[in-house]
Amino acid sequence: MKNKLSQDLPVIKKGSFYFIKDSDTHLIMEDKTKRGLTVRERSLDEKTNVEADKGMIHDLDGIGHWVPIRWFFPKKDYTLEKVLAHAEEMEKKYKELRELTCPDDDE
Amino acid sequence: MSYAHPEVLVETDWVAQNPPNEKRRLVEVDYDPENGYRKGHIKGASLIWWKRDVNDPVTRDIVNKEQFEKLMTKNGITPDSEVILYGDFNNWFAAFVFWVFKYYGHKNIKIMNGGRKKWELEKREYTTEEPQIAPTQYTAQNPDEKIRAYLDSVKGSLGKPNIVMVDVRSPKEFTGEITAPPEYPTEHAQRGGHIPGAKNIPWATAVNDENGTFKTVEDLKKIYSEKGVSSDKNVICYCRIGERSSHTWFVLKYLLGYQNVVNYDGSWTEWGNMIKNPIEK
Repeated sequence: MKNKLSQDLPVIKKGSFYFIKDSDTHLIMEDKTKRGLTVRERSLDEKTNVEADKGMIHDLDGIGHWVPIRWFFPKKDYTLEKVLAHAEEMEKKYKELRELTCPDDDE
Repeated sequence: MSYAHPEVLVETDWVAQNPPNEKRRLVEVDYDPENGYRKGHIKGASLIWWKRDVNDPVTRDIVNKEQFEKLMTKNGITPDSEVILYGDFNNWFAAFVFWVFKYYGHKNIKIMNGGRKKWELEKREYTTEEPQIAPTQYTAQNPDEKIRAYLDSVKGSLGKPNIVMVDVRSPKEFTGEITAPPEYPTEHAQRGGHIPGAKNIPWATAVNDENGTFKTVEDLKKIYSEKGVSSDKNVICYCRIGERSSHTWFVLKYLLGYQNVVNYDGSWTEWGNMIKNPIEK
């Protein structure tokens, strides 16, 4: 089920910067700021210890950095509350960043 | 039919059989050297890092004549050296550096067709060992402004029938749907769209998708002439930061032999951000 396109899955929770989607076997957390980024590999995300789709973004020097786009939390190990805690942590990080950089819209 | 200037291209086979020496320098040009040169490069190749080595650290500009001379010295290049460039990102930045070499008058400069992509597809060897290079003396020529466009000259060319602008970005960047692909979050502009009257001919239409090599003369002529980009016109190429457009500049000037082609390296990150500049979507 992990391989089913995530855009086809129902959204069960969303914030300004994340979606949590529901598949048969996983709760899938997506980082909305990474929309459109090409998935280049799926591998273990060391921070959450679950598999994640990853892409690469380039900094001001051109150096590429691997970033997770969506995380696959197995339902047998994770409740929605546990995934939500990860999502809210990410939400908090981006909101703090937004306050620092004062963007001109809410997206 | 062969390219107008076949002498500016070498194939991977040739590079494998003709290693660098005192008179022939091999240079990898990377946008992202951490994921390119430092993970492995062709034996004997030195590195030019597009961001740090070819751009002035303070002013938004390419390096000046003295900085270019220092870069050549560091890479063991003399004015008579044969220099072979290749790089990551489908040779975009190798083409940019080719343009900079020509800007400062270096004569014997070539690009390895297909760049890192083709070399890797052919499973050829890389090394992480960096070559020991003895510094050289290099005196550059004065800049050749005939191959570079600036904001004012681009503005002045709007609406002129003898001038055609080629926007080599992706169709979504051209229409303004996006200002930069998500992989490059530091390269956005205030507005999306294109310079009025520009033709959208993405850089990638000039290469074979499977290995990054340049298409045939016949194919290239068809691609550009169908959009009104003919050899009797003055052509201005642009993209987002001037690297993909130098790839198309190379195609038009050296593979098709167009006489009057310039690279507008300010590109969309300049045009799309400037006060009072008109755009189209």
